[in-house]
Amino acid sequence: MSRVSDYAFINAKLRARIGIMRESSLFDEMIKAPSLTEAIAKLDGTHHAGLLEVYRKTGDLQQVELQMLEDEIALYREVGSYLPSVPSEFLSVLLEKIEVDNVKNCIRLWYSDAVRHHLISYRSSYIYKGSIVHRIDYDAVINAVSYPELLRAFRDTPYAEVLSSFSLESIASRGLFPLEIALDHMWFRHLDEGIRKLHGRDRKTAEEIYSVDADLKNILMLTRYSYSYHLSPEDLEKVMIPMGYIVKEAQKMGALSSDDPIAVISGIVKHRYPRVSEEIARIRRTADDLTTVDENNREIVLIEAYLGERRQSEYRKILMGDPFSIGVVLAYFFLCLQEDGTLRAILSGKYYGWSEDKIREGIGL
Amino acid sequence: MSMFTRKMRMLTAVVMESDRDSVVKALLEKGVMEFVHIGLLPADKMAKLSEHSSAVPKAALTDMRVRVETLMKEGGMKLPEISAEAADSLPPLDMEGFRRTLDKLSLSLQSIRDRQRSINQEINALSEIIRYSTEKKDDYLDLRVGMPAHGNADDLHARLEQIGGVFLFSRKPYISLTLRRDSSRVTDVMDKFGWTESTDSEAQKSAGAEAIGEAKALTESCRNELGKLADEAAERIRSNGKALSDIWTNVRVHELCEHVESYFSYTRNTSLFSGWVPEEYSDDISALITKVTDGRCIIEWTEADEVPRGEVPVEMSSPKVLRPFEHLVRNYSTPEYGSINPTPFTAAAYLCMFALMFADLGQGFILLLVGLIGSWLYRKNPTKPDGIISRYLCSLLIFLGPASMAGGLLFGSCFGFSLIPALWFNYDAVVEGEPVQGLIQDIYDILGITIKFGIVIIYLGLVLNWINLVRKKRYFELVFDKNGLVGGVMYALGIWFAWGFVASGYRTFPSSPFFAPVLISCLALIVIKGPLEAVLKAREGHKESVGHVIMSTVMDFLVEVLEIFSGLLSNTLSFMRVAGLGIAHASLMSAFYQMADMPGNIIAKVLIMILGNLLVIVLEGLSAGIQSLRLNYYEFFTKYFTGHGVAFEPVGLRSRASAD
Repeated sequence: MSRVSDYAFINAKLRARIGIMRESSLFDEMIKAPSLTEAIAKLDGTHHAGLLEVYRKTGDLQQVELQMLEDEIALYREVGSYLPSVPSEFLSVLLEKIEVDNVKNCIRLWYSDAVRHHLISYRSSYIYKGSIVHRIDYDAVINAVSYPELLRAFRDTPYAEVLSSFSLESIASRGLFPLEIALDHMWFRHLDEGIRKLHGRDRKTAEEIYSVDADLKNILMLTRYSYSYHLSPEDLEKVMIPMGYIVKEAQKMGALSSDDPIAVISGIVKHRYPRVSEEIARIRRTADDLTTVDENNREIVLIEAYLGERRQSEYRKILMGDPFSIGVVLAYFFLCLQEDGTLRAILSGKYYGWSEDKIREGIGL
Repeated sequence: MSMFTRKMRMLTAVVMESDRDSVVKALLEKGVMEFVHIGLLPADKMAKLSEHSSAVPKAALTDMRVRVETLMKEGGMKLPEISAEAADSLPPLDMEGFRRTLDKLSLSLQSIRDRQRSINQEINALSEIIRYSTEKKDDYLDLRVGMPAHGNADDLHARLEQIGGVFLFSRKPYISLTLRRDSSRVTDVMDKFGWTESTDSEAQKSAGAEAIGEAKALTESCRNELGKLADEAAERIRSNGKALSDIWTNVRVHELCEHVESYFSYTRNTSLFSGWVPEEYSDDISALITKVTDGRCIIEWTEADEVPRGEVPVEMSSPKVLRPFEHLVRNYSTPEYGSINPTPFTAAAYLCMFALMFADLGQGFILLLVGLIGSWLYRKNPTKPDGIISRYLCSLLIFLGPASMAGGLLFGSCFGFSLIPALWFNYDAVVEGEPVQGLIQDIYDILGITIKFGIVIIYLGLVLNWINLVRKKRYFELVFDKNGLVGGVMYALGIWFAWGFVASGYRTFPSSPFFAPVLISCLALIVIKGPLEAVLKAREGHKESVGHVIMSTVMDFLVEVLEIFSGLLSNTLSFMRVAGLGIAHASLMSAFYQMADMPGNIIAKVLIMILGNLLVIVLEGLSAGIQSLRLNYYEFFTKYFTGHGVAFEPVGLRSRASAD
């Protein structure tokens, strides 16, 4: 089969969907709505109308979010069914990211109950319990009374190996952050392997996309954890995603063993992404007088919003390029997930009664 | 109905500032004027005018209107019609009051949703217990049967309820069914009340089933309560329906007034405005403004031909019955002002094409029925969103059905059977190769008909183009353009030439003394087009170098000749798809007919024929519809429809919100 026959149908289908999905006026109207009920009512007549139905029936935002997750999983499966086997398998790797996040949520719930001794009652119902990529007994995870029991719930999945390098004591003392980072890194390793299995143009496209994606995420990590939380070089190494130009260059230059690893990495960022570097510097300059934690967080939000825009423009470029490659599929998922993310942020903002400005700042609108 | 787009006139009026509101409301009530900004006055005069300043910004009014609409939609309410009386007797705009009313309603809705959320959480908690029991995951459950030794049972019950689970305290011994992960919390509570497990083995045995039964009953009652609350939310909105309708009407009228007044300019005591009005309403509008202002006004009319054609808004004056076809035309573009209204020609061409491709009396009747029933259902439920068979499709099917039925009568086809005598020829018999008497005997004859039909359509397009060009006084294009007279003559030559070749049995080309001189004259006209255009431009002061003129003449000549020959040839042959689709329709029905005979069972035969007809109606109906549209857009419209117009959008009380 040629690339054209592989991608002609899905390319046309996804482009048509992309054409109708960007409804920025919808988000604007939702932000302006004075209450959650009025905000979510704006979804009537849009392709998210199913979420409104769930809200009308339950009044429960978390139930709506669970529905969104189910819709996302269904979307990956639907698109995967239109693709030939190799790119379809790659899509399973991408779907695994949703599973990783679901696993993290599930473990957080278990942690809340078993380690922090908080009552979780109905909250377990908002965990997606179906099989996403691997067969995981989520009930066993939530109800695990010991760490070995938790490990058993993940047997025959790649998560077992990651979890086995932790213990109840380490988690109890250091929290879930290291475990979650380890799970993310496991996924990035799978992503790297998945990209290697792709052929020709698909492989090149995926490499380009995820290399930049990993770089931008690492820049965000640097901003968030090093600049604000002053991580040590060892912890910095553990936090950084093992993919992309920045990490490879940092390893080559021995950045993490240098006297000032942040300066060396910042130099790499400046060389590879001069505009990103300039923009971050500009945001910091204008936020020089920021002193409180809230204000520092605001600066991170601004940088996150800028990097989000940057990532969006990368995907827009892909959409304008070769239509007969996996690029259009990846761009579509990016746009879908971004739209869902914006929707979630607006609805959460409305639920917590945030101001219009605060919601807009949070989603970079 | 006029054959051309509706004639327009531009009104410019000056009224006293004190009469402004009355004039605006009167014009909105009439709803026939599209306002334009006054921007072409000399700068010194413009400087004396000031722009409209609003008490309430239009954006705030729009936000308020959208908010009311959202709530009304949530309550399943229709937007009210604004009557002239309602617009005249509006209470003052009280934005703060409106906001308070809406906030109050929104708050009460939110409290219903919050109650729904609590109940949903309860359902979720109980569902987890029920699911574990159903899936035999009893390890995750903690069942206790016993009695407290001391303390108040109600207190114990209340404290256990905080943890969550199923508690049966109305019988003895008490039953507690919780999640195992909450065991330690349950034990802590029970220990405080000296809970002792029952030794009654029967009670212990039946406790689980009893507790699950109670959980199911509780879940069911919660679900009912959830449903009631969902209805209550919609009912709460409807009970405020009058207030919402009043707010919407008030805000909408003010929004429209703001919109209209944003086009006004002002001196200290007067208001100046301008806009386009269909010619037949111009006297009414003059009279209306004069009446409302008691004659304190100055009205001037500008004719459309005094303004560049592209600035005049266009309205097609088609009869209501042809609205579905006007929609097809609008989908393509808006015709230029003063040109031919394509709607009636599109309707005729589209229906003929569809009838030729989908000729079946029975299937056409089904299409008509679908159209009629669909339209009736949509009329009955005006708020119902469009489904796959949309409102528009239903209105189109009401035309396509009878067209297909007429085709069926001509070709003697009903549900794929030759049940009725053909008025023209038996299409199915010709397709199946059966011996047929008359002019049409084989498939080539059918192809010939559609090519002739294509020639008629293309010529109709060319003639309409010539009429448009004469009306626009573009005589140069009329003569020299590929869709002008030169193109028409060369197309006629081509048809004559091809006709002669086919008539000779594809053996010899026809010859005639007029052929070469006419062809050479046409080619010469195409050659001189470039230099002539250069001379005309030079007269207007746009000189071009001789080299440039020669180069562009050669290139234009080659492209133009190629376009005339290959373009018109391919346009004509494109109409063979009409025969193709018609033949496919007949062949498919014939195939289903043969398949129906295979089982030798009358029930199976009927079922196969029903299924076959359904498939053909859906698939072939869709194909014929799309191909007819394609032929109209690419073969017909490209000959005469420039689509350079700007649609006329008058503002009135009944204007859709999106229109402004």
